[in-house]
Amino acid sequence: MNNKLDRREFVKLAGTAPFTAAAAFQQQATAPGPDASERDLVLLALDAVRSAGATYADVRIQRGNTETVATRERQITNVSRNETYGIGIRALVGGSWGFAATRDLARDAVAATAKQAAAIAAGNDKVNPVKTALAPVRRVPDGRWITPHEIDPFTIPIEQKAELLFKTNEEALRVKGVRFVTSGINSVRDSRLLGTTEGSMIQQTFLRMSPNVNVTAVSGDNSDFQTRSAAMPPRGAGWEYIISLQLNENVLRWAEEAAAKLTAAPAQPGQWDLVLHPSHLWLTIHESIGHPTELDRAMGYEANFAGTSFLSPPERVLNKFKYGPPMMNIIGNRTEPGGCSTCGWDDEGVPAQSWSIVDKGIFVNYQTTREMASWISNLTKIRESLGTSYGQNWGSIPFPRMPNVSLQPNPQDLSEEDVIAATKRGIYIEGDGSFSIDQQRYNFQFGGQVFWEINNGKRTRMLRDVAYQARTPNFWNSLALLGGKSTYKLGAALNDGKGQPQQSNAVSHGCPIALFRNVNIINTA
Amino acid sequence: MQSNTSKRHGLSSDESRRLCDKILGMARADHTRVNVNSGISGFTRTAINRITTAGETNNVNVQITSVFGKRVASVNTNRLDDASLERAVRDAESLARIAPENPEYLPELGEQKYREVDGYYASTGDLTTEARARAAALGIKAAESAKFIASGFIDVSAGSEAVATSNRLFAYSSGTGVASTLTIRTPDGLSSGWAGDEGSDWNTIESDRIAADALRKCREWRGKTALDPGKYEVVLEPAAAGMLMLRMLGTFDARQADEGRSFFSKRGGGNRVGEKLFDERVTIISDPAEKNAETSHFTGAGMPVQREAWVEKGVLKSLAYSRFWAMKQGVAAKPGPSNFIMSGGDASVEDLIKSVKRGVLITRFWYIRPLNPRIISFTGLTRDGTFLIENGKVARPVTNFRFNQSLTELLANVEMLGRPVRVSADESSSTGTPVIVPPIKVKDFELASVSDAI
Repeated sequence: MNNKLDRREFVKLAGTAPFTAAAAFQQQATAPGPDASERDLVLLALDAVRSAGATYADVRIQRGNTETVATRERQITNVSRNETYGIGIRALVGGSWGFAATRDLARDAVAATAKQAAAIAAGNDKVNPVKTALAPVRRVPDGRWITPHEIDPFTIPIEQKAELLFKTNEEALRVKGVRFVTSGINSVRDSRLLGTTEGSMIQQTFLRMSPNVNVTAVSGDNSDFQTRSAAMPPRGAGWEYIISLQLNENVLRWAEEAAAKLTAAPAQPGQWDLVLHPSHLWLTIHESIGHPTELDRAMGYEANFAGTSFLSPPERVLNKFKYGPPMMNIIGNRTEPGGCSTCGWDDEGVPAQSWSIVDKGIFVNYQTTREMASWISNLTKIRESLGTSYGQNWGSIPFPRMPNVSLQPNPQDLSEEDVIAATKRGIYIEGDGSFSIDQQRYNFQFGGQVFWEINNGKRTRMLRDVAYQARTPNFWNSLALLGGKSTYKLGAALNDGKGQPQQSNAVSHGCPIALFRNVNIINTA
Repeated sequence: MQSNTSKRHGLSSDESRRLCDKILGMARADHTRVNVNSGISGFTRTAINRITTAGETNNVNVQITSVFGKRVASVNTNRLDDASLERAVRDAESLARIAPENPEYLPELGEQKYREVDGYYASTGDLTTEARARAAALGIKAAESAKFIASGFIDVSAGSEAVATSNRLFAYSSGTGVASTLTIRTPDGLSSGWAGDEGSDWNTIESDRIAADALRKCREWRGKTALDPGKYEVVLEPAAAGMLMLRMLGTFDARQADEGRSFFSKRGGGNRVGEKLFDERVTIISDPAEKNAETSHFTGAGMPVQREAWVEKGVLKSLAYSRFWAMKQGVAAKPGPSNFIMSGGDASVEDLIKSVKRGVLITRFWYIRPLNPRIISFTGLTRDGTFLIENGKVARPVTNFRFNQSLTELLANVEMLGRPVRVSADESSSTGTPVIVPPIKVKDFELASVSDAI
């Protein structure tokens, strides 16, 4: 059955606000469809939960496969495969949610779990009755999507993965002062079948790769040690991504940098210009833009853990708050090629799309789910969800999670050298290090992996023990120059934590290299 | 013993043994180990004075580790039918055959003697959705009484774990955990208060007191004013102390120290066991049988976990040794701490406050991340109730701070310890590694910069 929406049709559905981008609808005819027995179980669960009184429910059968190969120096430390498989059912009774999940996929167990989800919802509604409105969504009776990839990582033999890692370690150990090196490759396959009481049935398969290399150099008398973690972000991709990283060639530089950190000059605290490489800046974007623009946070839903947001209340900040200079454009995007949060539909069956979050420096939209869309629709003129619902696996209730949130490059294609040349006295930071930000996303402090001093437009000596501390609005308003699209890269995390019980989300952030003026530097030694 | 006649969540000892035996019977490797974790996790979550989500998940996870010579690999699965288990065993063995040798592998353990621990409390295991909802509603009612806004979380786990090896080792343990936390904020977003409890036994969770304390903190923190950053004498309430001390848990490792990668490394080689590194009032132990903070009495490999002193009167007493590192160094293997128990005295938080001429009272922390492993330093932020103390009294609420602080310096700078209690030390407020700590008065705590966050 063809359920494909064309762009014009979706824009009509999604509203007409100027910052609403169209969905990049991802229906893929070649993607695997649902297993017949799983489909039957989803339908059984939907029937059971409806019979138990749910006015709405969604059901996920999810199979998560991970494979890990890990090494240290010349030995293997872990070869493992993990499979987790089960069903999770979310039910709405009255205005309250209930969720139940089980690994037992026998028909009677599935039916009982569906009834349990409805009973939990009903119990909550009795103690504390509330109202919940869900935004409309187009029914998708046969949705199919798979992460674009060339080589399935699970077809690559363990020996080949281990050999690549051992060669990488050996190269690192050739560098004087390097005593330890760990490396690993994690491969992830996440297959999920979603069914809803509104008639959607969507099968998606996500592939993600997560490599790592960490080099440690120790001083001769054991009085000091320094580490260098490689900037190899997780990626929504297949084995071809690992090939593209050229680990054997690049590890030499990382090892030399680990050793050089032992004798690098200490950071001088004070005000410095910062040139932030994308391998570093992605995490600053994640923490200071990605999280504060989650609408559930802004409305208090995460107050007991992840916190709230300085971007609140919506009527005071939407289309008014000046996040940064006019060159600053941020998009929420579940269609970014290679993005870890890229998908065909979210966990409520809402199509993947992209939209402006910061437009020419002004904050213009949050991230929403079906439950949240109506909270700000009078301000955004968007009735539909932006598609950010996600549960980490079958045993986890779906809730609002961050899409790929990315800083757009300079339309003029400035190079890294151009940005450094515009810096008189600064520090260049590559790679992500220690990171911490307060519960409303104001005060943050970030380290990095390697640091160089910039003098008169040139990168000079290496520095160590650098961290910068800033206040989010001040920091982004100090943005002075962006690199062009040739400097644009993705950073990512597979384990972004949020929620109670805490769940992990896989998310990417793209950005170009960028220059910030007069940021406060501290020495962490 | 906390058991009663009701059915426990998770596989029983007999069920676990039968499952392990079945898997070991399928195995063809030189050595095989089976780890089984089973049980339920349940939660109730509130925000904006409503129950936002609640749920329950049950699962059984089996890990099969297969070994040929020194080639080791493992497979995890939660599919327990015979065909799936057989496939998992064959898969683990196929992986092990092609895995490169691990020269540090030591053969699986045989039968061990354990000091068995029962950490399963029926009060927690039998907790119903309705009971959780009623407890959560207490927080909502407290907030509504003041026209404030409540957000809370009750997290429950109940289940068992088992390990068996082809060398006839079998060990089984069951346990429960519960954490209940509550944040109450003013509608204008200008104040926030927090309180929480954690334990193995639901009967130790004081839901009324949690509601009252969170409300009190929120009221008292209203009208906060600026205070300059700097080094202060600080009173850490137990939750704040526990959140920091939890970060010490993984540092007591001999190999890291011997290899020159730890605060406990000795210049020139070796480690600093036997050196007085901290204030003499600091004593840190772990004990899997600690009441209301029980843990499993064995490791994943089946090694017995026993009571151990890590720091005694400020002296580093011991470090953990893996079996390989112990063999290499010619000492006995010793697992790391499974919980964290810090001694204290009889003083209350109020007593500690009375002893402060000018300092800061801290309720809890947020976003704690490592800064410098050479001195075990961390950064993070105060949250949900920060106050200036003057002349032995809470003088006024103050803004939040970012701290940059070495924990080794903190333990050296201890001035007074209060009465130890079990705390909710995990930032996400989930049940986690049990932590028992006293409130701590410490000098020269670095509050490095101001945070506008509330």
